[in-house]
Amino acid sequence: MSFLQVKNLKKSYVTKNLLGRTDVQQVLKGLSFELPENKILGVVGESGCGKSTLAKVLTRLEDFSEGEIFFDGKNLREITAKDFPHKIQMVFQDPYQSLNPRKKAWEIIADPISVTEHISLKEAQARALEMMKKVGLLVETADRYPHQFSGGQRQRLGIARALMLRPKLLILDEPVSALDVSIQAQVLNLLLELQREFKLSMIFISHDLTVVKHISDETLVLYFGEIAERAPSQQLFTNPQHAYTKKLLESAP
Amino acid sequence: MKDFFIELSRDIRKNKGAFAGFLLISFFISLALFAPLLSSYQPDQVIDGALRLSPGAEYGGHYFLFGTDDIGRDLFTRILFGARVSLMVGLSVVVLAASLGTFLGLMAGYFGGWTDRVISRMMDFIMALPAVLFAIVIVAVLGPGLVNSVVAVSIVALPNFTRLIRAQVLAEKNKQYVQAARLYGAGHFRILFKEILPNCMAPLIVQGSLGFSDGVLNCAALGFLGLGAQAPTPEWGTMLSDARSFLESSPWMVNLPGICILLVVLSFNLLGDGLRDALDPRLKNRA
Amino acid sequence: MLLEIEDLSVQFKTDAGTLEALRPVSFSVAESEVLGVVGESGSGKSVTNLALMGLLPANAKISTKRVVFHGKNLDLNSQRELRKIRGSQISMIFQDPMTALNPSLKVGYQMIETLRCHFDISKEVARSRAILLLERVGIPNAEKRLSSYSFELSGGLSQRVMIAMAISCHPKLLIADEPTTALDVTIQKQILDLLLDLQKENKMSMIFVSHDLALVRKYSHRVQVMYAGELAESGRTEDVIQHPHHPYTFGLLKARPSAHEGLAKEPLYAIPGVVPSLKARPTGCQFHPRCSRATDVCKTLNPKLTGSSQKFACHHPLETP
Repeated sequence: MSFLQVKNLKKSYVTKNLLGRTDVQQVLKGLSFELPENKILGVVGESGCGKSTLAKVLTRLEDFSEGEIFFDGKNLREITAKDFPHKIQMVFQDPYQSLNPRKKAWEIIADPISVTEHISLKEAQARALEMMKKVGLLVETADRYPHQFSGGQRQRLGIARALMLRPKLLILDEPVSALDVSIQAQVLNLLLELQREFKLSMIFISHDLTVVKHISDETLVLYFGEIAERAPSQQLFTNPQHAYTKKLLESAP
Repeated sequence: MKDFFIELSRDIRKNKGAFAGFLLISFFISLALFAPLLSSYQPDQVIDGALRLSPGAEYGGHYFLFGTDDIGRDLFTRILFGARVSLMVGLSVVVLAASLGTFLGLMAGYFGGWTDRVISRMMDFIMALPAVLFAIVIVAVLGPGLVNSVVAVSIVALPNFTRLIRAQVLAEKNKQYVQAARLYGAGHFRILFKEILPNCMAPLIVQGSLGFSDGVLNCAALGFLGLGAQAPTPEWGTMLSDARSFLESSPWMVNLPGICILLVVLSFNLLGDGLRDALDPRLKNRA
Repeated sequence: MLLEIEDLSVQFKTDAGTLEALRPVSFSVAESEVLGVVGESGSGKSVTNLALMGLLPANAKISTKRVVFHGKNLDLNSQRELRKIRGSQISMIFQDPMTALNPSLKVGYQMIETLRCHFDISKEVARSRAILLLERVGIPNAEKRLSSYSFELSGGLSQRVMIAMAISCHPKLLIADEPTTALDVTIQKQILDLLLDLQKENKMSMIFVSHDLALVRKYSHRVQVMYAGELAESGRTEDVIQHPHHPYTFGLLKARPSAHEGLAKEPLYAIPGVVPSLKARPTGCQFHPRCSRATDVCKTLNPKLTGSSQKFACHHPLETP
């Protein structure tokens, strides 16, 4: 069995309107895919295709409606709340909203270990500083607050926080789309370096085809909650099969 | 958090209104603190024969800066000690209402569902009645007295804090830093108090300052109605009510406590408004 | 030349002191030309356009040597002068179409009012003109759309409505400030193709602002690259992209992974460091802390814009191969 195996995953939202009539909206309509260990799966799609919902389901921020997900041989739903943070972590899109504005940089990074492990504040700080170095942040900036960092540095903080618990799978929801072009390249390079160093598997969600092509081994094209196409990235981009993939590629500048 | 207060004090100094309010508050606090040093009388000390003397009067070797009341007590002393009562009352109301209100607001905003419905309807109920009227009802049940009037005024002030914090929590809880905290396994308690609450502090401080003035005013109103502090406690509202029948013959007995209530309420409102101006734009920048 | 700007600079007065958002910049836009403006956050690309439209906040101080629009001198500090040309001769479309429309008014009402504000026409005429405009920008069921509210429209549709309103008075210059950044790629292409069609059809000039060089390459005749409130390089689009002289332009081109070529997972060419903050500008050349070619002279002397058709501001430009 693969490292991550998703079988017929469905997710629908049920909303009630004022008259009490229920409205069911199916966001994910039966996705099946797998991800081998140490590989990067790119997920591409436009707004409303369900890519953010997929991220929430895989991180258990939201439950799914139907189907099965197996992670590292275990049913995703059955992993204990204590183990889960060490298995799957996430890097968020918005570098402004994803960091608590009232905490110092090192506190943000140290939070995951001070929650899950019984360690002294000093040790937590030391390990946070270690991680800051790994993601290319200056240790001297550890006492600063998020608003004193630039967008790219903030995203590095987010990555550092996600890696503190040494997860096996990292889910990245549009991690570079809010960044300037010259900063995007820095963060992408960093992610590839860290992937090798920490032996990470990644699911890289983006609307940007060129970025996904660059970073991922395999690419999944989502279209209204369904998989339009799934292929090794190089192949997908040189020889797209599905009409929607072709349209996406033509639209890219 | 420390830097937060350093910045805050810098912002207050820049805002003229807030700074004036701050100075006035400091003035009243020092009056309250040094009351025994500033006055040579006790607040309930009766000087025989010195009835309703006008401000600046001398009588039998005594000097009365603010005059005396209808049974011969020094008004200046009573106002000084009254400042103690009023400030303590304001502080107690804010602490009580803010702590309970913050807790209820956090619960309602974070957990939603039935918790939210129950708490929100309770707050709606309190707000549906005029504040002083509802406070009178509560005091009528609990019995008159300073402590009970503080409890009553705190309950009346509760919805302001609860609704404020609830709205703030609703905005904050969907931000990605809260999701990140859930992902690394932080429990509800930690998320509420370590992640969300620090981000509610700014509006809470503003509301606290405004709530202080409401508390002082409402407690004075209860005192005036005879439901708050009982004689001989030198409470400004009670003093007003005692002096009411001498409004024409000895106006200073009414005017001076009245002016003090006005100034304290005004100063906390100025400070609160200034704080709001100082804190809001930065919140926008940081968001 | 339709628009000539000489030494336009913008400063913001803030609590933290005076911030130079735009240092003296000169450029021009020819008739029927699309000028692409590329830059990162804080590069001054939006400030330039807002100054032209008179939409800068009150704490902004604008100074210019000379601004000539359509043969007439233009005072960017005079709201009266700007109001006369704003909307009728220069219009603008913004990055976020969802917030550019008033959500409490129907689309039709907003369009009809705009039209009647600029032309002396009846409601009925304005209405039929609005329908024609919506049809022109490719909105299906144009007549029905007039009675929609903006929140009922998708991002792509809202941007089309904005474009329809922007061209309704046949402006001579259309400023498009990141018009597709908030939109999906497939919609992005449709919108930009539409803009270019309209530009050719109406022979208008366009300033097209984007952070994406690849887009600018596809849609503009000339390009200017901005960095930290200064012009780094400008010239004909193909020249600049084929043979960038400024190391920053070179870096921007290299930093984007390409959709059509290149190996996956190879490290990308990354410009190190961060975009300088306006509060703490470096001395000399603004780019030198991030530049691999920087020498001592770059630290002290800010290079002037040189060159004839392709201009650049660099002491050590990349040579044409």
